[in-house]
Amino acid sequence: MKTFLVLEDEPLIAMDLKFAFEDAGHEAVTAVDNEEALACIEKGNIAGAILDVSLGRGVTCKPTANRLLRDGIPFVLHTGDLNRVGEHLREIDAPVIAKPRPADDVVASLLNLLKEAA
Amino acid sequence: MGFEGASGLLFEQAMAQTRMAVCLTDPNLKDDPIVFCNEAFQRLTGYQSEEILGRNCRFLQGPDTDQAQVSKIRDAIRAEEVVVVELLNYRKDGSTFWNTLHLGPIYDANGKLTYFFGSQWDVTDIHQSRSEERHAKALAREISHRMKNVFAVIGGIVNITGRAMDAREVSRRINERIQALGRSYEPTLDEAVLGTIHVGQAIRSVLQPYDPEGDRIRFTGNGVRTEPNAISAIGLTLHELATNASKYGALSNENGTVDIAWKHVKDKLGRNSLEIEWKERGGPVLSGGPDETGTGFDIADTLLSHSRGMLERSWESDGLRATIIVPVSNS
Repeated sequence: MKTFLVLEDEPLIAMDLKFAFEDAGHEAVTAVDNEEALACIEKGNIAGAILDVSLGRGVTCKPTANRLLRDGIPFVLHTGDLNRVGEHLREIDAPVIAKPRPADDVVASLLNLLKEAA
Repeated sequence: MGFEGASGLLFEQAMAQTRMAVCLTDPNLKDDPIVFCNEAFQRLTGYQSEEILGRNCRFLQGPDTDQAQVSKIRDAIRAEEVVVVELLNYRKDGSTFWNTLHLGPIYDANGKLTYFFGSQWDVTDIHQSRSEERHAKALAREISHRMKNVFAVIGGIVNITGRAMDAREVSRRINERIQALGRSYEPTLDEAVLGTIHVGQAIRSVLQPYDPEGDRIRFTGNGVRTEPNAISAIGLTLHELATNASKYGALSNENGTVDIAWKHVKDKLGRNSLEIEWKERGGPVLSGGPDETGTGFDIADTLLSHSRGMLERSWESDGLRATIIVPVSNS
């Protein structure tokens, strides 16, 4: 069983993703902003992450994405706005999953990413 | 040269008639004052010629005039170059207009700089429509973003409820349909301004998840647009066809393909209709049609009949052939 990070400011989506991780035999911690997300990563043993790109009021998941890249932790970007991703996160090398997408699919694509990285 | 002799008169007549606001300044005088302006210039700015002549052009600027544009003008004058800038100017009554200013040096026969020629064009209308368009696009994008989030949240609610009530299979199927519906509206939301939507874009975004590599489903269409209300039935029908293909048809093995083509046609009753053809090839060999009761095709049939459309299916040995026909009011 691995621990995953879900950075998502919409509670219902966060909850859905958390359950999908549990269905897949893992567990997930949720964060609503970059500060919480960074604190979770700080604690260690995060195997991978799903990052909502826009966290409201123009804030993006970039600080968390940078930290994950630095630590070599795989993650996917989960967003409803592909255009804005193009503007803000072009330089971040991570798969993008367009919302809406079933939570199981989102989780499955992160687990695939981990498998490929291993 | 005859032209040169007549040029004074010609110049005055032409300047009086043109609707383009024109002025000349004399860079050899102190502070480069305006020494000539035509009728159109007076009309555009609201000043009379006696209030204009002798002053530097900067009297048309005001607090919201972009200084970066102004310094472009200054640089061009210093370098004796031609420049075109767009800047906000102020009329005598204080109202503003967007001015496309074209400025360039005029030399005499000996190559000595004698005047700067300035023509101004009021482009306020263009400016406004440009900013309205930008605004509309930004708004459409924001709505699109929010709608996608709403669909994602609905998906979350359905899943969470399904788990709590131990009805995962049901919630999964409800969710697949909701998400297919959400995807069918993606192009609508992105170009909400236009009122009609690109059929091809809707079809592509509905089917995208069933062909992640993008090499199994082939699309043929000709930029057909239709009004958004036909889209929910079409989107859900395509979802059912794709689900079936993923389970039993051409998308259930390694190398089957689906060809989709769409066009406007007249249906049997002579109505303008949208026709979408679905052709599977290379799937597992079929022996007649499957038992269709309780499948998603029931829902597709019902939805389409409410739109006065239909879904024809024929189970050929190498794969399903289906035709969706939906009447559309504009084509």
